[in-house]
Amino acid sequence: MSLSNLIKNWSSLRVRRPYEGQYKGKDYKWAMVIDLDACTGCNACTTACYAENNLPVVGKESFAKGQAMHWIRIERYWGPGDHMTEEFPQRGAQFLPMLCQQCEAAPCEVVCPVGATHHTPDGLNSQVYNRCIGSRYCSANCPYKVRYFNWWQYPERAWPNPLELQLNPDVTVRSKGVMEKCTFCVQRLTEAKNRARTENRLVADGEVTTACAQACPTSAITFGNLANEKSTVAKMWQAHQIKLASDVQEKDDTVRGYRIFEDLRTYPSIVYLEQVRDLEA
Amino acid sequence: MSSRILDRRDFLRVLGIGGAAATLAGCGNTSIESGKELVMSYVQPEDFVVPGVGVYYASTCTQCGSGCGIMGRVREGRILKLEGNPQSLISAGKICGLGQAGVQVHYNPDRLRTPLMREGDTLKPVSWEKAQASLNSRLGPASTLAGNQIAFLTGEISGHQKVMVEALLESFGSDNHVVYDALSTVTGRAASKAVIGESLPVLKIDQARMILSFGNDFLGSGVSPVYMAAQYARFRKAPRGTLVQIEPRMTLTGANADRWYAIKPGTEGVFALGLAHALLAHESYAHSLPAELEAALKPYDKDTVSEVTGVHAEAIPHLAGMLWEKSPSLVLSGPSAEGHVRGFNNAAAIQLLNLILNNRGRSLLGSAVHPFPQLVSATGSYSALVKLNQDMSAGRVQTLLLVGTNPVFTAPTFLPFANNLSKVPFKVAFVTQLDETAHQCDLVLPLLSPLEDFGTHVASYQPSGVEVQIQQPLMEKLYPETRGFGDILLELVKLRRPEVYKAFPDYYSYLKTAVTKAKPVFKATTGDDEFWEDALRSGVLRLDLPAAALESKEGASVVQVDTPRVLDTDVHYPFFFVPSVRADLRDGRHANLPWLQESPDPLTTVVWDSWVDIHPKTANEMQIREGDILEVQSATGSMRAKAYLFPGIQPDTVSMPLGQGHTAYGRYADGMGVNPFKLFDPMFDEKTGELALYATRVIIKKTGENALVVKDEGPTSLQQNRKLVATIGADQAQLAKENAHVTE
Repeated sequence: MSLSNLIKNWSSLRVRRPYEGQYKGKDYKWAMVIDLDACTGCNACTTACYAENNLPVVGKESFAKGQAMHWIRIERYWGPGDHMTEEFPQRGAQFLPMLCQQCEAAPCEVVCPVGATHHTPDGLNSQVYNRCIGSRYCSANCPYKVRYFNWWQYPERAWPNPLELQLNPDVTVRSKGVMEKCTFCVQRLTEAKNRARTENRLVADGEVTTACAQACPTSAITFGNLANEKSTVAKMWQAHQIKLASDVQEKDDTVRGYRIFEDLRTYPSIVYLEQVRDLEA
Repeated sequence: MSSRILDRRDFLRVLGIGGAAATLAGCGNTSIESGKELVMSYVQPEDFVVPGVGVYYASTCTQCGSGCGIMGRVREGRILKLEGNPQSLISAGKICGLGQAGVQVHYNPDRLRTPLMREGDTLKPVSWEKAQASLNSRLGPASTLAGNQIAFLTGEISGHQKVMVEALLESFGSDNHVVYDALSTVTGRAASKAVIGESLPVLKIDQARMILSFGNDFLGSGVSPVYMAAQYARFRKAPRGTLVQIEPRMTLTGANADRWYAIKPGTEGVFALGLAHALLAHESYAHSLPAELEAALKPYDKDTVSEVTGVHAEAIPHLAGMLWEKSPSLVLSGPSAEGHVRGFNNAAAIQLLNLILNNRGRSLLGSAVHPFPQLVSATGSYSALVKLNQDMSAGRVQTLLLVGTNPVFTAPTFLPFANNLSKVPFKVAFVTQLDETAHQCDLVLPLLSPLEDFGTHVASYQPSGVEVQIQQPLMEKLYPETRGFGDILLELVKLRRPEVYKAFPDYYSYLKTAVTKAKPVFKATTGDDEFWEDALRSGVLRLDLPAAALESKEGASVVQVDTPRVLDTDVHYPFFFVPSVRADLRDGRHANLPWLQESPDPLTTVVWDSWVDIHPKTANEMQIREGDILEVQSATGSMRAKAYLFPGIQPDTVSMPLGQGHTAYGRYADGMGVNPFKLFDPMFDEKTGELALYATRVIIKKTGENALVVKDEGPTSLQQNRKLVATIGADQAQLAKENAHVTE
């Protein structure tokens, strides 16, 4: 950021974020809705992410040490409390696709000593690999545990020839010592934005989506531009009465939308829709 | 500029105006005086290929038999990623994890790159000329083989590959096409055919208001999971349908049920008959069955059924009431109900409920008759392998060709397949990668990967109308010494039947001719070339045909109703043993794909390994903790794996996942876990003769050893009162209103 830019935008930079209407009139604010009633826990999204984002397969030994690099993972729970009340999980399992929530007030951003992770104008929590020094403070401060550290030089071991031919040329292969995380497939967003800009328009709703949303066999994931009030994702946020800049939502009991760990004031960009169960069954 | 030596400033100025020409001059070797010579790039891309921009080609996924249309993203000549093809009715633009991993079949570092020929105990690399000469000498015009002395063992196969297999056999006068499926669905299909009238009827999941599934894993390892998942998503929209699952070990589908019941393995038929008994008491369903059958159901009162099945008695009237209320319903039988000695009868009793509930014609429809029966998918069975095994043992098989199957890995211990295989003088395996069976063959031929080859496919499950799926190469072949399956077979039949096949220089031209010949059936009015181009572009040929009516002669009469009795306890083998089938690894054929090995099992989150599911209550009684290494012993065999405490299992049952335990299937599969196929007892369905995969009994012993279970799950499997996955009652949620708000 140049000095002139800094001075010009001084007042907006001094504002506590997020604030209501922050993205009003802006071009883009990427956001997501995940319907937990549609999610079956099948793992199609996670494999799609491996393919799209050059995620290394770390192997059994590293996995055992918690070094898996899945930017999106499916968590499976057997109940809401701290013990099982029934002999069997008679309402099935609870599956939770967990990925970077692209928080508007991201706890990871403020602790980075070198500014390697910061907020982009279109509302993404970005990670600049060549700035990262591997302090791992961001990971320690992330309540969702969705930041993944390169403990090894994976390019040397994860893609034995000719597996490396599969690597997506639009995405960097990360080297040892840097942190990485879900980017909302920023390479796809950039391409779509560039294409739209050449055609002197904005990216249309449904024109671009993330790899996980594209693969999902039940279409449980909806991705889009929250700054565009007519986009599906914006309508869903409205229908579920979630306001981006609030940490306490005033909403009806019948409405399913919620954000995870909202009380930590992270202001996530992902709304989850509650799982539905026929409790009379 | 050619003769003048440029100074730096001049050079930059020239670069500014001259562009590419100036840059080339700067690079050195060429002199490019205007018009003197023509400089051409070594690589001439197609007109529409722009460096840096991905191009999508349509093809068909071959990872399972569902026939999903896929789109391959190709950049600079490399295939990078697979997506679903929106023009395909089956995939509708979606794709599963198994499908995604198709690129790792193609780029697998353990791909076989040259033909191998047996020399004593080892397989040695040879040239194609030598391999072809060996093949031709055995199978060419001079071959002395006749009739069923030659056999072709395949997995599920359809389309023109199947036509070529059968054409080759026919040229010897053989009809010995053996189709083997280690996870055979023959028993369930036979029962459905007998009771409902069709072996794989069309399931209108989105039309049903309630689904009662006995172990049918339609969202995971079932017949067409991507299509079913889309149907399921609609089923869950307003008015939201209810899913009830009954099975001994929770499947992925069970994990999504509104109500899940654990049942003792093999007693599903008793439960279904108990439900039938309860339904018949209702006036809506009275007299929907023949009188003698109704009378025979009398002993199936809820208390007796509860005692046999281990499901509490009130479940039966409760479910009967729900089925009455939520009509049309859909009742499904699945492998865990069918894999028993009385498996056929279990499945028939389950299908009987569809008759009583009058689901035929509403949530169950007939599928359309395929206009090309020769292309229709050949269903694999276990009994086919038994027959082949007998033939091999008796020395009746002189030459065996194998593709798409690995029986040395999947055949049970008591079927000495590997031994008998060695009695066959000439065995040829067609593979992309060496596996346990190919290791025992005399000639191993390296195939093109499914992303390099042409083909046609017909999905085993046709949800509406009929389709022929087109498979086309998404990139140039990686290895010069690999060949297409269709091409190898065509070369052979050309030698034997030149009069029929000599017009086709390769499999591509054969396929093109065959497909364009079918043009009138698809009511196309375009020219041949255009029709073919269109087929390649869309990846699918589609014909809307009306659904056939579902009728069966036998109907309810096939169901045998015995006096219900409690299963014997076996003092030597006190536990029921049920395998679990993972949607990605299946019978083990995909264990060589690293993405799938590292993709956690959805229910347990375990990776790269085998484990033993045991109910926490049972584990507590036996003082077993997670990671304790257990010895699981059946009358047939025994193996060791780590215990995983899993609440979604009937407490007298233990379970292990299939697919792991390879010994010769490349770096990603070998040494990972154990192979429970070798644990199965010789138990067979009494009607179809299929191996009863869910009927083995075992004993488990603690070994005193313990090891870390490698899994994605953290220290807790509960939400610990954090609002991670909130649940709302179906009566409270307003799904219709939500939907209206979004679509307005």
